[in-house]
Amino acid sequence: MSDNAGPIAKHHFLMRRLHSLTGIVPIGVFLIMHLTTNSTIAWGGLNSRAHGEGWMNRAIATFQHEVSFINNMPLLLIIEVTLWGAIGFHSILGVYYAMSGKGNTGEYKYSGNMRYTLQRLTGYFGVFFIFYHVATLRWGWSFLVPGGAVWSHEAASSTFAAALQGSTDGFTGWGLLVAVFYFVGVSGLVFHFANGLWSAAITWGITISRPAQKRWGVVCAGLGAGLMVMAWASVVGFATLDYDQAVAVEKAMMDQPAHAELEHEIEAGSDTAMVDQQDVDG
Amino acid sequence: MADGKRVIVVGGGLAGLAASIRIAEAGVAVDLFSMVPVKRSHSVCAQGGINACNEVARQQGYSEYQHFDETLIGGDFLNDQHPVLEMTNWAPKIIDLLDRMGVPFNRSHEGYRDLRLFGGSLFRRTHFAGATTGQQLLYALDEQTRRFASEGKINMREFWEFLWPIVEDGRCVGIVAQDMRTMQIQSFRADAVIMATGGCGLVFGKSTNSVICTGGAASRCFQAGAWYGNPEMIQVHPTAIPGADKCRLMSESARGEGGRVWVPSKKGDTRKPKDIPENERYYILEERYPKYGNLVPRDIATREIFDVCVNDGMGINGTNQVYLDLTHKDPQYLTEKLGGIMDIYEKFVGDDPRYTPMRIFPAVHYSMGGLWTTYTAGDYQPDAPLTEHKPGNEIPVGTEPGLGLKMGAHNNAMTNIDGLYAFGEVNFAYHGATRLGANALLSCIFDGLCNGVSVVNYVREGDQTPASNLDPSIFDNATKQEQDKHDKLINSTTNASGDRSLNPYQIAFELGEEMNSASTVVKTGPGLEKCLSKIEELRERYTKVELGDGAMWTNQSLSFTRVVGDMIILGEAIAKAGLLREESRGSHYRTDFPERDDKRFWKTSVAKYNASSGKSDIEFVDVKAGLVKLRPRNYGKTDSGPQKTEKETVGAS
Amino acid sequence: MSEAEAYSFDADMRKANRKKAVAERSVIFKIKRCDGPGKPTRWESFKVPIKEGANVISSLNWIAANPVTTSGQKTTPVVWDSNCLEEVCGACTMVINGRVRQSCSCLIDEYAPLEGDTMTLEPMSKFPVIRDLWVDRARLFNNLTRVKGWVPIDGTYNLGAGPKESHDHQQMRYTLSECMSCGCCLEACPQFTKEEDESKWDTSFIGAHAISQARYFNEHETGKKLKSDRMDTLVGEGGINDCGNAQNCVKVCPKGIPLTESIGAIGRSATVHAFKQFFQGKK
Repeated sequence: MSDNAGPIAKHHFLMRRLHSLTGIVPIGVFLIMHLTTNSTIAWGGLNSRAHGEGWMNRAIATFQHEVSFINNMPLLLIIEVTLWGAIGFHSILGVYYAMSGKGNTGEYKYSGNMRYTLQRLTGYFGVFFIFYHVATLRWGWSFLVPGGAVWSHEAASSTFAAALQGSTDGFTGWGLLVAVFYFVGVSGLVFHFANGLWSAAITWGITISRPAQKRWGVVCAGLGAGLMVMAWASVVGFATLDYDQAVAVEKAMMDQPAHAELEHEIEAGSDTAMVDQQDVDG
Repeated sequence: MADGKRVIVVGGGLAGLAASIRIAEAGVAVDLFSMVPVKRSHSVCAQGGINACNEVARQQGYSEYQHFDETLIGGDFLNDQHPVLEMTNWAPKIIDLLDRMGVPFNRSHEGYRDLRLFGGSLFRRTHFAGATTGQQLLYALDEQTRRFASEGKINMREFWEFLWPIVEDGRCVGIVAQDMRTMQIQSFRADAVIMATGGCGLVFGKSTNSVICTGGAASRCFQAGAWYGNPEMIQVHPTAIPGADKCRLMSESARGEGGRVWVPSKKGDTRKPKDIPENERYYILEERYPKYGNLVPRDIATREIFDVCVNDGMGINGTNQVYLDLTHKDPQYLTEKLGGIMDIYEKFVGDDPRYTPMRIFPAVHYSMGGLWTTYTAGDYQPDAPLTEHKPGNEIPVGTEPGLGLKMGAHNNAMTNIDGLYAFGEVNFAYHGATRLGANALLSCIFDGLCNGVSVVNYVREGDQTPASNLDPSIFDNATKQEQDKHDKLINSTTNASGDRSLNPYQIAFELGEEMNSASTVVKTGPGLEKCLSKIEELRERYTKVELGDGAMWTNQSLSFTRVVGDMIILGEAIAKAGLLREESRGSHYRTDFPERDDKRFWKTSVAKYNASSGKSDIEFVDVKAGLVKLRPRNYGKTDSGPQKTEKETVGAS
Repeated sequence: MSEAEAYSFDADMRKANRKKAVAERSVIFKIKRCDGPGKPTRWESFKVPIKEGANVISSLNWIAANPVTTSGQKTTPVVWDSNCLEEVCGACTMVINGRVRQSCSCLIDEYAPLEGDTMTLEPMSKFPVIRDLWVDRARLFNNLTRVKGWVPIDGTYNLGAGPKESHDHQQMRYTLSECMSCGCCLEACPQFTKEEDESKWDTSFIGAHAISQARYFNEHETGKKLKSDRMDTLVGEGGINDCGNAQNCVKVCPKGIPLTESIGAIGRSATVHAFKQFFQGKK
């Protein structure tokens, strides 16, 4: 290697392996948590302790509860910046690496080859999607949102639903486009993660034999399928969410000033009486 | 290198690579010329294995000396005896060296090198790496060559074609070669030149050989004054898969497992084999040899199959093919026992031999003959030649180097031209009239390792003027000579008549057909005379040959057209020596002289090129013997019965 | 069906084609031609009579002897690389009907079973064309030098036998050693791209072929001595990490070599090598 090689070439191995690693930790781990949180809109109704009557209200409340919890985490910004850094690093290097290859699925229609190409396409698309997602919902670039919805962590469900639907009262054409964009985006990212996890095991030399690669492939596919269900549930859940209903639930929750403190105590499990209190509140 | 001495090696097969490694290791610079990347040399096609005495066999009574004795009887005593002794003595050490180089020799369950039985011996003395031993050995040497090349000790010139040896005052001082891509013709100086250019199967049209095995390089040396020994000794393997482009070897184990050889009884029967009822099939070998049936010795099988097709015209659909039928066997059994060769057949022919009879025919496989070489005999000089060696007999000679050949003597494996050596298949010395299976790989590597030392000594110790000090005009003239030949061929593209009979591919095709029918399995005086007159006709036509491509860049047609002329010259020597050898010996079988005639023909036929007539003059000179006494070649009298021992004696792998 | 065949694409289709092949027919050979480096490419078609057992080589031989295109134009014989014609030397690799393989083992019956069917022949696209179908695969051999593809023996003198080896280990090594450097794995690899600039070869992706060969030598008791050197190359630019795990290599390998297993194994070695280097290495 020549001395005047750029940093990427100079620390080639480190860069490559960091690229692989960041895809799993923190990005992959975050993806799992994020989808778990977001998909509460679909299964949060199971949460009998949620601030709401009825399946949908409990789901909205659970989601809001989770979002509030995250937003109350100490040093959240540091966590966020770390994550953004990791995503940026993974994206820039990923695009750079992906540009070095040249897909040939036209001639070689093997499933592995399809996944190779798809991994790169979902990577490119994913970068775009994540940027849009973070810019509009976290940084508040509402001019990119049809209908101009601004996301708020205090009204997480309603504002997100509005952003997905293009207005506060049901789908607009642009809104539908955003919803589809989200659907494709999250699907792609889930695939990207699951396939990346499979391929990382070869890269790191964890799976060597063909049977091992196959078995790990089944595990990754299973994980991917699970995440995919969560991802679709999230998108469909918010895209079909009734804005007014969500606002109502959120409002009710916001009207509980002691809410946050109570919650901490409940989490700690220190006072079971508080649970009853909360239920009453709900 | 310090002394500026250089050696040119032409050919990158086992012999050429072994020589290059040995010489580079000794500190002499090597220029290695090959028409293909050396890893693609024809040695990759060898399958069976490589013979050497080993501890297991030794403890059962085998010895290097017995390997030597077997090789002589196998070759029907036409071998030069001293080099064979040296070679068999070296064999175990060569296996060790290959083992150290990393060749994945098959292993026993305890981890020792596994061994298999092979023709011409009752002992397991054949080492093997799957069914691709040649490939594995070549790769090991290729790897070592790459190592030396990366250190600058071997200069690789791949895709260069050897055109001519530069001979000055009876001494070879370099070569002319052409870059097959740029078509640049250039002279290269060398203090010694090693020809390791293999066999000449393409003279016979389709053979088991690779497309570069034209014998062209040997023929050019022959035309430059090198002698050619035993040209008529061509080995034909009985069972090969005739292909549209070449013949691929089909192992004899197919018959061992019950394969039956037959043709339709009715000449020109076009029905599918399955539609021909049992009573309308002619089981050639079973009917002609009721006792041994399909398991007759190889040479007999070869001759009978040939006879049915060529003389009786009874081949399938009038072609030169017979059925080798295994379809009566259980497919599962076949997969288990013969899976490897079943797959080869299926891949290349497209039919599954478990359900469709294979179509096979004998094919030219190996040239025992080659450039004539000499040597200095070693220390073992018995008072009188010994009789047949049997297990348990006292071993008359040790195994240390220098007993067969004087180690490092300048003239070992040197042709009649000073400084021009011949190694491997192109060296005529080792295999006499028939080569034993699994001895070819051995002779190639032995030549390189043992006689490579001779080349180093010749270059270092000889008092000849270093090639680098010779007058440049010698080399310029040689370049010009080849450039003129080249230009003449290029010019034949202008004003071409388009006459089909002047098409080089047509001429080569006719040469192959004629050589194959007259000068391989069954030869007759009249047949060979007819062959010689056909060659004369082809030679005449060739003088007016019309090249199909006038390009000055990567012109393969030119290369091919040029070598057709060289093949005609070599073909003439092969046919003429066959005509003059009025006896039958080993692979050389004359129906008009069916017996071995030691009185007249226990002699090496030496062909010398007569530049004025453009033909060869054949002389018969005494075989260099003296170690082992001549005896009848009669495998039938060994303990195990004739077919078991003899069936593997013809042909390698 | 052999392992190699089981992996190859469209094996069933090709088998079915064999069955419906018409005995005496003509097949159109569409060949991508180029007179030399930097020269324009053109397509020429030839109508070739197909006899039983014909393969691409025999068809090209026929064209060489009858170099007239379907439009009656006299042309030059097609140039291509070949040698053993038994699928052990690797020379005659080319792109046939869009996919890479050896032309010697390519039976016309399997690809163009009917009268007038077309066979398309192109040179490999990842190597510079010398002329017509002949490409310069020097980079492929250079990659073997990059990974020091040899066993560093002390010399060719008689020093006794090599290291003992178990039966199973030999079988594993034998499978790897069958690689004939044909370049199919590189042609089909989306990460291995054409590089004409020789000075960039040492930092361009090395490909499955050399990775598997590195593993082959790392697995030999004496070959192991250079493992660290090999891994230095393979963890560097153009090394193992450039693999994108498309796994086309193993699908197109005519010898059924477990290339993806080699990639996994070298991946593991690279991980170990890097940790070793970090905690106790020289630099």
